[in-house]
Amino acid sequence: MFETLSFNDGGVHADVAVLTLKRDRINVRQIRELERVCDQLEDHSACKVVVLRGHSLGIDFTDFDPKEALDIHGFNKWEKLVSRIERLPKITVAALDGPCVGGGFQLALACDQRVCTPAVTFSLPEVKLGFLPGMATYRLAKYVGVGHAKRLMLTGAALNAEDALRLGVVDDVDPDLDAVIARTLTALGPMHAVAGTLARRLLLESFHTEPEDAIGHFLAAQHRAISQAAFLDTLAKERG
Amino acid sequence: MLDSRPRILSVGTANPPERYRQEDLLERYRVADPRLRSLFTSSHIRTRHLYLAPAGPDGAPVESQGELLAKHRRGAMEIGPQAVEKCLAPLGLTVKDIDYLCCITTTGFLTPGLSALLMREMGFREDCSRVDIVGMGCNAGLNGLNPVSSWALANPGKYALMVSMEICSAAYVFDNSMRTAIVNSLFGDGAAAVLVRASEKDERAFAPKILGFNSHIIPEAVGAMRYDWDDTVGKFSFFLDRDIPYVVGANAERPLARLLATHGLRRRHIAHWLVHSGGKKVVDAIKYNIGISEWDVRHTHSVLRDYGNLSSGSFLFSYERLLAEGRVRRGDYGVMMTMGPGSTIETALIRW
Repeated sequence: MFETLSFNDGGVHADVAVLTLKRDRINVRQIRELERVCDQLEDHSACKVVVLRGHSLGIDFTDFDPKEALDIHGFNKWEKLVSRIERLPKITVAALDGPCVGGGFQLALACDQRVCTPAVTFSLPEVKLGFLPGMATYRLAKYVGVGHAKRLMLTGAALNAEDALRLGVVDDVDPDLDAVIARTLTALGPMHAVAGTLARRLLLESFHTEPEDAIGHFLAAQHRAISQAAFLDTLAKERG
Repeated sequence: MLDSRPRILSVGTANPPERYRQEDLLERYRVADPRLRSLFTSSHIRTRHLYLAPAGPDGAPVESQGELLAKHRRGAMEIGPQAVEKCLAPLGLTVKDIDYLCCITTTGFLTPGLSALLMREMGFREDCSRVDIVGMGCNAGLNGLNPVSSWALANPGKYALMVSMEICSAAYVFDNSMRTAIVNSLFGDGAAAVLVRASEKDERAFAPKILGFNSHIIPEAVGAMRYDWDDTVGKFSFFLDRDIPYVVGANAERPLARLLATHGLRRRHIAHWLVHSGGKKVVDAIKYNIGISEWDVRHTHSVLRDYGNLSSGSFLFSYERLLAEGRVRRGDYGVMMTMGPGSTIETALIRW
């Protein structure tokens, strides 16, 4: 099955799939396995929420053929995977138990919620190493503002859990990771995948959409939401 | 094994020479009502190519149904042949090479139809078979491509040509109502031609195979889009219901799901989306219901911005822009999607 991660869909709770990273660094195999997990989540899974559990020190360049120059297509493939995780038809929660560096931090930023233990740190050392921290250049600023994003990227400084909570990079911190996951899942329920993922899409688009366009997008999305069984049930209950 | 499924070998488009900004129309026809003006200026259309009549005494053009029909015929015979030339010339072909001609229009009813007029105008061979698809509206390009592709498959090695000719300015009614202003601010004139052939000789051509179609009709919305006779003005008049975007949006997933399932594909396998430029709201409805991005509909939007809604030919203008962009790779899948009266949604799957 999988070598670099484990994937348990519906094993503990029918609505929840748990994806656990089992490798400190992201290698080619892990990228492929994450793609396979995305296939499964998009095509077959009945779960409503995915918990991405673990930590990651970023991309393992020693895994690439040292005789070959790194080309840009590999980075493109990675970004496609991160975007795909960001747009999964499920709500995603990153539950972090160790340092999130580079690509690891990027994966966490692609999730809908982030929770962690107090010892977790977040950093993007790429610029100090002479390259770019992927599309974190795009995502991080939306969470923390351009000022903090510049500082974190240009200095490569690690953000501790407490500061991450204050800046809105993480949503909850607790020494007991299982407890904070349970709390988050409770807070997210009842989960309506369509309404949830439409709200996420409009939020992801919010910083770069003109208001005139945004209202049209909202109306199209709202019409979809109110046509779903979940809302029709709500309406029936409200009306007695 | 050689693949002899029908392929789209070429595309050509043409528009009337005169191009207008939305403001130009308001000025030309002295439209003063702020509600009507805002329909023109707040739309996502910047320019359209149109055959416009001069302003009448009170501003609005004075054109009888007979004059409009003559404009439809004249316009189609001007831009139709240009689109055909542009489609055939790159392959070194002429109309003499064409064995089957399918003409599509909704902007006027003529007998003999546009196919006969086009054959005379351009000198097609006398044994070229033909068919006219008249009155099916914006979706008709795929209603035409379906039989064209079947004909090509049944007649391997022979060329089939499909030509959409929509002179929407011949369907204009100016009566200062919201109903007609919605139409007058949206549609543009244009012609688009595609050449289809099923031949092993095209195996190495960079031309997409047509893999299949899926249709969807929404009978309860039969009246949502109409082009019917209006006794009060003595003309045919378009009617577009304000709920169209929502009706189309709520149904769009269904034909798409069937189309993809038939071929064992998922939405993520589709690299290129060629969606009819029906209007801003209907494109938004498609985007949020089938979960495709603004990037996926970039050509749909740019065609709408530059030409307005060209009815049955719109998606072929997007197709032409997609090819010009140079991003398509061999093996890529594309979905074509058009929507219109019926109410209907038509889809096609293609692969380069």
